[in-house]
Amino acid sequence: MNRLEEELKKALRQVEPPTGFAERVLARAASAKEKKKARWLWVLEWMEASTWRWAAACALCVVLATSGILYRRERQRKGEEAKEQVMLALRITSSKLQIAAQSIREIGAPEGPQR
Amino acid sequence: MRRFGIIFALLAVTQVAFAQDWDPGGALKRLAAKADKTVDVTLDQSMLQFASGFLDTKDPDQAQAKKVIANMKGIYVHCFEFDKSGGYSTEDVASLRAPLKEPEWSRIVNVRSKHEGENVEVYFRKEDGKFTGLVVISTEPTELTWVHVLGPINPDDLRRLGGQFGIPHVEIDDKPSTKKGESK
Amino acid sequence: MREHQRMVFSIAYHFLHNGAAAEEVAQDVFLELFKKLGTLESRAHVTFWLRRVACHRSIDYARRNKGAAAEVSWDELPEPSHSIERGQAHHDPMLTKRLQQMVAALPEKMRMVVILRYQEEAGLEEIANTMGIPLNTVKSTLHRAHAMLREKIGQALGEANV
Repeated sequence: MNRLEEELKKALRQVEPPTGFAERVLARAASAKEKKKARWLWVLEWMEASTWRWAAACALCVVLATSGILYRRERQRKGEEAKEQVMLALRITSSKLQIAAQSIREIGAPEGPQR
Repeated sequence: MRRFGIIFALLAVTQVAFAQDWDPGGALKRLAAKADKTVDVTLDQSMLQFASGFLDTKDPDQAQAKKVIANMKGIYVHCFEFDKSGGYSTEDVASLRAPLKEPEWSRIVNVRSKHEGENVEVYFRKEDGKFTGLVVISTEPTELTWVHVLGPINPDDLRRLGGQFGIPHVEIDDKPSTKKGESK
Repeated sequence: MREHQRMVFSIAYHFLHNGAAAEEVAQDVFLELFKKLGTLESRAHVTFWLRRVACHRSIDYARRNKGAAAEVSWDELPEPSHSIERGQAHHDPMLTKRLQQMVAALPEKMRMVVILRYQEEAGLEEIANTMGIPLNTVKSTLHRAHAMLREKIGQALGEANV
């Protein structure tokens, strides 16, 4: 190893993180878990609150289901379109390669004279 | 929120990396402006993967297509038709060929039909011993086609390409050939 | 966690050249580790995963915070103002500091390759796998990094020995 590499190894030696790093990470992990739990509790409380909220929730479900159906239809349409594009691209590529290959076969050499 | 930002940034970088519709010297744009009819197919890796999910494996052509595109990173096809000959110039074709003179590209086929006026050139890009790109330039008096396939490409896939989609199968020799005449 | 915190923090620190930013990145890496722990199969897998995520997170952080504190431009870095006698450089903390600054001023990909090579003593193939780049790219990047660093610091190290 040359001098530069030796110096680089020294310069880039591992360093200790600041004191308390591990504790701070664990504290963040615990806090993230609490937030997630609190979010779910909030949803439950909200749903228990009153009847009209239940109705609103049902309406929302219907809207989501409908938009889900519409989304799936649109996705299907786009998928069919993409599929047609792929087939078109492959047909064009194939036909051009076919022309080249057929000419090679007819001429009987990798690169022949003009027909 | 920051997590979504990171995911979004990662996705954006991936999209940019894969969207590689190549326009050598701006030739394709010029040709599109001059052509009377244009057919463009631009499919990057994400579109190919999306389309693959809709290919019906019960249909032999579509099943074969699925195999061929499985590892591809993109297919870009541009066909230009002109009402009369002379619609495109030698400079246009030279612009398309220019980047293919780089060492990583090899022209493996150059077929010219003086009688029918059709010329087909096939170029392969090779990196680390693997085929990573294919370009086909086809010129006729009133038509020019540019096909760019971003690999990796398996020569077997190429043979499949030549033998499917309603087109009879023909062997393609992938040994490099010497140049013999240029078209137009 | 304590076993790996030096590695993760150091990658971020040497890349970002900023302690607070390095801690933020390192914390994010470990928080992600807690979620993914069930999917990691072995100790070696954990190490590889941490290294890879630390690399990518550090690069993402740098890109998001371009122009923020501690960004050093390569062209603005002066060459060392003094040359060092052979043998003296071994114990020169200024040289170490200068090298750290130079590494922090390298382009991002190059910087990470250098850090993985010399901090982690990773092999070239390991670096390629960690960063998700081809092996040849790692080789050429490292070669260019050496050339760039030698150009700046060659005098200080005594040219014959570089």
